[in-house]
Amino acid sequence: MTAPAALKVIDLHKRFGAHEVIKGVSLEAQKGEVIAILGASGSGKSTFLRCINLLETPNSGEVWLAGEQMRMTQNRRGEIVPQDLRQVEGMRARLAMVFQGFNLWSHMTVMENVMEGPLYVQGTPPAQAREKAEALLAKVGLSDRADYYPAHLSGGQQQRVAIARALAMDPDVMLFDEPTSALDPELVGEVLGVMRDLADEGRTMLVVTHEMGFARDVSTRTVFLHQGEVCEEGPPAELFSNPQTPEFQAFLSRMN
Amino acid sequence: MNLLLEYQTQLIDGTIMTITLALTSLVIALTFGLLGAWAKLSANRLARRLAGAYTTIVRGVPDLVLILLVFFGGQVTLNNIGAATGLWGYVEVSQFAAGAGTIGVIFGAYFTETFRGAIMAIPRGQIEAGISGGMRKSLIFRHIIWPQMVRFALPGFTNNWLVQLKTTALVSVIGLQDLVYNAFTAGRSTDQLFTFMAAAFVIYLLLTGVSDLLLRAVERHYNRGAVRT
Repeated sequence: MTAPAALKVIDLHKRFGAHEVIKGVSLEAQKGEVIAILGASGSGKSTFLRCINLLETPNSGEVWLAGEQMRMTQNRRGEIVPQDLRQVEGMRARLAMVFQGFNLWSHMTVMENVMEGPLYVQGTPPAQAREKAEALLAKVGLSDRADYYPAHLSGGQQQRVAIARALAMDPDVMLFDEPTSALDPELVGEVLGVMRDLADEGRTMLVVTHEMGFARDVSTRTVFLHQGEVCEEGPPAELFSNPQTPEFQAFLSRMN
Repeated sequence: MNLLLEYQTQLIDGTIMTITLALTSLVIALTFGLLGAWAKLSANRLARRLAGAYTTIVRGVPDLVLILLVFFGGQVTLNNIGAATGLWGYVEVSQFAAGAGTIGVIFGAYFTETFRGAIMAIPRGQIEAGISGGMRKSLIFRHIIWPQMVRFALPGFTNNWLVQLKTTALVSVIGLQDLVYNAFTAGRSTDQLFTFMAAAFVIYLLLTGVSDLLLRAVERHYNRGAVRT
């Protein structure tokens, strides 16, 4: 028997009012895969990512993490809600997310930001949590900024702290929601560099991005979303050299 | 000066009453303020409406009217209810309870708005970062919302508190022996109203000055990590 997929999403639908943003997207990520999710703005790629850890509640569909299903149910008003919030919280802790806007906690130092999850969600002893945070900050090249507050860092540095914060949870899968879109162009490289290292380590990653270079060079598989549906999907080498659909062709020519 | 020393007991007692009243009503106001802000931001429509009615009514009526209404009307109402239901006999609403309760409820409405604004000033993304990290609601509240809410609320809090401290002077009209009541009584009986009112002036200024200093220290603590723009 083969190991279950690190992450499996089956037929996910999401509506905002009458507008269906995600029209049945399925996706499977094996351990160690780096999946780049491309799409024009409004294609639903960020919403899709946010449905995986239930920052948005999907209207239907299944999310499985290493063979465990996120159990959902209907409440009295017919809304889809988690059946067991504790289960969802546990699964979220294994699905670290990195946001476009970094979202570091502004009243905590860099060190406190990275230690928060291990200390208070996972119950790691303080000395151990600190040691781990120090190692992670060294990994993202910010050891000398441990006692700074987020507001005193550049965007690129903040995003690297956010990645360290995500890594501190030892996540099974990492979700990146346009991690470089809010950065000044000269700062994009440092963040992509860290993400490249993570991919080389064999981390399982879902990356919503506009960075074509990253998708082409780093991802093991690229998915192109168009109007809430998977339009094209495959190894980036094939996809980029030989786009099949007119939508993806148009998208690529706009991006270049 | 000799006259003030002669009446120092009244002045000190009045000051203690003013401070006690202010702090008691502050606790009530903070409780109402937090509950009100929670209700106003809640998904429950009934809670939102009740909180809306509360702040609209309380903020739209003079404090003095509410104090008199509660003190004189409250006692009658309570006794009428007691007589009608037979649940309790004659009760007397104490001046302190009426004063502290009313001022607390009034300023709770102002604190409701202060806290609501402070919670809304917290970037949504920071809360999402907590949710996506698997944090429970209570942990998100304690570690992310509360410290930042306090920071954003402090300037408004300081303002409300100073006004509230001064509003306690209104209870002298229902006969509670606070600083104003005692200073006024002493001033009238000695025919030295100016001297005693000047003393009250200085004591109030001392109280608000000390509050200001303390709250500034608290503000410095909660402003860590904040960038002044």
